[in-house]
Amino acid sequence: MDRKQLVIACLAALPLAAAAAPESYTFDSTDTFANFVVDHFGITPIYGRFNRTTGKFTLDRAAKSGSLDVTVDVASVDTGDIDKGNRPRARDDHLRSADFFNAAEFPRMTYKSTAVTFAGDAPKTIEGNLTLLGVTKPVSLDVERFKCNPPSGTSKERCGGLARGKLNRSDFGMNRTLGAIGNEIQLLVAFGADHD
Amino acid sequence: MKHRSMVIALAFAAPLAAQAAPETYRLDPRHTFTYFSVEHFGLSNQYGRFDRNAGRLTLDRAAHAATLDVTVDAGSVTTADPPAAGGRSRDDMLRSSDFFNAAEFSQATFKSTRVAFSGDTPTAVEGNLTLLGTTRPLTLHVDRFKCNAAQGPRKERCGGNATAAFKRSDFGMKFGMGSIGDEVTLMIVFEGDKE
Repeated sequence: MDRKQLVIACLAALPLAAAAAPESYTFDSTDTFANFVVDHFGITPIYGRFNRTTGKFTLDRAAKSGSLDVTVDVASVDTGDIDKGNRPRARDDHLRSADFFNAAEFPRMTYKSTAVTFAGDAPKTIEGNLTLLGVTKPVSLDVERFKCNPPSGTSKERCGGLARGKLNRSDFGMNRTLGAIGNEIQLLVAFGADHD
Repeated sequence: MKHRSMVIALAFAAPLAAQAAPETYRLDPRHTFTYFSVEHFGLSNQYGRFDRNAGRLTLDRAAHAATLDVTVDAGSVTTADPPAAGGRSRDDMLRSSDFFNAAEFSQATFKSTRVAFSGDTPTAVEGNLTLLGTTRPLTLHVDRFKCNAAQGPRKERCGGNATAAFKRSDFGMKFGMGSIGDEVTLMIVFEGDKE
C-alpha cells in the first residue's frame, strides 16, 4: 500500500471507528452515591449511604451495548448514627467491623457489569457481579431513570440516573443478627457522570 | 365526697382512664431519620438526610387517634459532599441562607393535626410543616407502621415510615430553582419505645 492509498484507507475507516467507539463517562463522586436499605426488627427500613463511590461506564448507543464498573469504599458507610452515647461504639463503627463490612480486610466493594440491555437509547438492565467481603456473586441492576444533558459552554456532556438492585447479604457471608436485621438488602445507586 | 366513696369512684374510673389514655412513644434518634430527595438537573435524584431528629408519637388504639411530632435540626443536613478545597461544600451551602438558613431557623418541625386509620394502623398524618419560619399544611402517607410487643427488658416499640411531597418554593426556598427541582420528596423513618 502506498502512502496515498493508506491515507484514503484511514479516512474511510474513520467514520466507522467513530460510530463504533463507545463513549466513556466517569462518575462524579460528589453526585454519585450507593445507598442501601435493610429492614430493622420488621418495623422500619434503615437507610445507609456509602460516601465514597467511584467508577466509570461506557455507552455505545449505536451497538446498544455498555459497561459499568463501580468501586465503593466500604469504610465510608454512613447511617447517620453520629453519637456513640453510652454504647461501646456507634452503629457506623459496628458496620465497619468484622461483624458486617469488615472494612479492614475488605476495604472495597466492586461491581462489574457483564451485559447491559437497552430500552431505546437508554440502558435498562445491567447484569454483573458484585464482590463484597471477598465473595463474588451475580447481581442485576434495573436502571430506573437515565438521561444525558448535552455539553453546554464549559460543561461536558453529563449523564445521570438511578439504578436499583437486590441481594441477600447472607449470600456474601454477612450473617450477623439475621433475626433482627433483614437479610434482603435493597440497593439504590444515584449517579451523575461526565463524558471523558 | 367521703374518703371511702372517693376511693371507690377512683377505682371505677381507673380502667376507663387507662383505656382512653393514649400511649406515648419517644422517638429514638438512632432510629429516627428524616430524608429528602430532590431532582438534580433533570438527571438524577439527590438524596439528603438530617442526622439529628427528635419527636414523639402518641397512639390511642381504642379511639383510633394518634399524634406525631418531629423536630429536625436543620444544621444536621448531610448529602455526603466533602468540604471543597477553598470553597464551601454542598452541605455548607445547604446550611446557608441560600437553603435551610440554619443560623436563623435552626429547626424544622412537623406537628400532626389529625391521623387517619385503617383498622388499628395509622395510614395518613395530616399536620403542619414549619420550615424557614413558614408553616403550611402537609399530609404524610404512612407507608408502613408496626409495633413490636414488649419482650424481656425491651419495652414495646413502634415505628414506621411516612412520606410526603411539597414544593420548597412554598416555604421561600427558591435558590437554584432552574437546576435543582422545586418538588421535594420527604421521608420520615421513625421508631420509638413506649414511655
